[in-house]
Amino acid sequence: MKKLIASSLLATGMMFIANAASAEECGDVTIAQMNWQSAEILANVDQLILTEGYGCKAELVSGDTMPTFTSMNEKGAPDVAPELWINAVREPLEAAVAEGRLHIAAESLSDGGVEGWWIPQYVADAHPEIKTIDDALMHPELFPAPEDDTKGAVYNCPSGWNCQILTANLFKAYGAEEKGFNLIDTGSAAGLDGSIAKAFSRDAGWLGYYWAPTNILGKYKMFKLDAGVKHDKTEWDRCTAVLDCADPKPNAWSKSEVYTIVTDRFKKAGGPAYDYLANRAWDNATVNSLLSWMTDNQATGEDGARYFLENHEAIWTKWVTPEVAAKVKASL
Amino acid sequence: MEWLYNFPSMDIESLRALKKGIDGGFRGFTREYGVYIENAFEPLKQFLIWSERFMLDTPWPLIILLIAVITWVASRNKRIVIGTVITLLLIGYFDMWEDTMQTISMIFVCTVLSIVVGIPIGIAMSRSDRLQSVVNPILDVMQTMPSFVYLIPVVMLLGIGKVPGLIAVVIYAIPPIIRLTNLGIRLVDKDVLEAADAFGSSSWQRLKNVQMPLALPTMMAGINQTIMMALAMVVVASMIGVRGLGQPVLQAINNQYFSLGLFNGLAIVGIAIIFDRTSQAYGKRLQKYQEVVHG
Repeated sequence: MKKLIASSLLATGMMFIANAASAEECGDVTIAQMNWQSAEILANVDQLILTEGYGCKAELVSGDTMPTFTSMNEKGAPDVAPELWINAVREPLEAAVAEGRLHIAAESLSDGGVEGWWIPQYVADAHPEIKTIDDALMHPELFPAPEDDTKGAVYNCPSGWNCQILTANLFKAYGAEEKGFNLIDTGSAAGLDGSIAKAFSRDAGWLGYYWAPTNILGKYKMFKLDAGVKHDKTEWDRCTAVLDCADPKPNAWSKSEVYTIVTDRFKKAGGPAYDYLANRAWDNATVNSLLSWMTDNQATGEDGARYFLENHEAIWTKWVTPEVAAKVKASL
Repeated sequence: MEWLYNFPSMDIESLRALKKGIDGGFRGFTREYGVYIENAFEPLKQFLIWSERFMLDTPWPLIILLIAVITWVASRNKRIVIGTVITLLLIGYFDMWEDTMQTISMIFVCTVLSIVVGIPIGIAMSRSDRLQSVVNPILDVMQTMPSFVYLIPVVMLLGIGKVPGLIAVVIYAIPPIIRLTNLGIRLVDKDVLEAADAFGSSSWQRLKNVQMPLALPTMMAGINQTIMMALAMVVVASMIGVRGLGQPVLQAINNQYFSLGLFNGLAIVGIAIIFDRTSQAYGKRLQKYQEVVHG
C-alpha cells in the first residue's frame, strides 16, 4: 500500500514537473489560421503538434495575410503565422526582421507557391495550340465574358489582394483589351472560386488568375499558361507590382516564397517549439492531396490535420524529436 | 452518463454522406438546369447592363440635372435638391463618380424589382392569414441567413457579376416592403372598409381606392427601408464581382487603406441620405395630397 501511494505520489509529482517544465518551455501561443485551406490545415497541424508534443497552450485565431501581418508587426500578436506568402509584405517584413520584431522560421512550402494564369485542362486538351498567355488571348471566343458575349474575359484576383494589381498590369502588358478581352472583378476568393466551379459545371471556357496549392486546383484540373517570358525582378519591382503603372511589360510570376513567421516574443519563449517551427516544411504534392481529401470528405482543418498526422508519419516525424513524435502519436 | 455531456449527435459518416449528398445533388442540378436558369435571368441582366450604361455614358452634368429634377419632383424641397447636387459634386470631385453611378444604377434596379415583386406579395399576404403564416418565416430566413450561404450556390448557377449580386441584394432588401405593405393594409380601419362595402365597392375598388391610399404612408416607409437595406448590401454584393463603391471598400479592408475606405463609405452614406430624404419627402407629400382630397 505504501509503495502504491509512494509511486502514485511520485508519478503525480513527475507529471507536475513535466507539465511545469513544458509549460515553462512554451506557454501560450496564438497561431494565425489564414482563411484559405492550405494555411488552415498547416495551422491545425501546428496546433496539434505544439499542444501535444511540446505542451504549449496553442490557440488558433483566424486571419488574412494583411491584417495578420500588420497585427504581428505592430502588436506582436498572434505569435505565429504558419503560412505567410511574403511577396505581398516583403518590404515591411524585411524592416521588421532587421529590427528584430519578427523572425523568419521554416519555408513552409518547400517548393513554394505557384501563381499564374490558368485555363481548364479540357480547354487545353481541345485546343493543344494554346500554350502561352499570348496564345490564349488570340481566342476571346473561347473564354466568354459574363456580361458581354462579344468579349473574352480574364478573371482577376479578388479585390485588395496584391495579385489584383499584378493581374491588372499584366492584362495591360499583354494588350488583352485590344485583343477583345475584359478584365472581370471577382470581388472575393469565393467569387473567383464560384466562377471556376460554374465554368466546370458547364464545360465552359475560363481564363484567369489562380494559385497553388489549393483545393480548387486539386478538384478542377487546370492548365497553367506559360507567360512567354522569364521572371524579371527589376521590371517586376519597377512596374508589374506597382498600382496603375503606365507601361507594364509581360512578366512571369516567380515562385512565391511561403514562410512561417514568428514574433520575437515566441522565438524567445518557445524554446524547442520554435525549433519545430524553424524545421517543418512540406511540398505542394502533399498539400494538394490533403486538400483534395478534405474537400472530398468535407473535412475541417482539424480533421485534415489529424488525417495528415495519422497517414503521413514519414513526413512529420522528421520535423520533431522521437520523444515528441511519440507524444503526438500517443494523443491521436 | 457520457450521453449527458456529449450530445448524441448523428454519426460522422452519415452526416458526411448527407452533406455530400446535398452538395452532389446541387452540383447535378447546376449541371442540368444552370443554362436554362441563366437564360431566364437574361432580360434582367440586359436591363441591369442598360441601366449601368445609361448612367455611365450620359455626360455627368446631365446626370446631376436628372437626379436634381427627380428629387425636386419627388420632394418639392429646395434644401434636399441643393444637398443632393452638392453631394454628387463632392463625390465627383473625389473621383468616385464612376463607382457611384454603378452603385446607383444597381440600387435603382434592385429597388424597382423589390417594389414590383414585394407589393403584390404584401397585398396577397394581407388578404390571407394562411399565406401570412407561410410567408413570414420565409422573410425571417431571408433577413437572417448570412448572405454568403446562398451567394455561393447562386454564383455556381449564374456566375459572378450583376445578376447574382441583384439576387443577393433583393433577397436581403425585399422583406421590409412586403412586411410593411401587409401591415399597412391590415391596419386600415374596419369602419372605413365597412363604409366602402356599404357603397357597394368591389373587392378591387376597395383595394385600389381605400386600402392602398390609406396604407400608403406605411408602404412608403417600407420602400424607404428597402432602399437603405439595398445600400447596406453594396459591399457584400461587390464580393461576387458587382462593380461600384463596394469594390474600393473591399480593397480598403484588405489593405488597410483607411482613407480609401472612408471616402467610399461616405459616398455610400451620401447616396443613402439622398435616397432616404427624397423618398421620405415624397411619402409625406403623398399624405398631404390625400388629406387635401379627403379633407
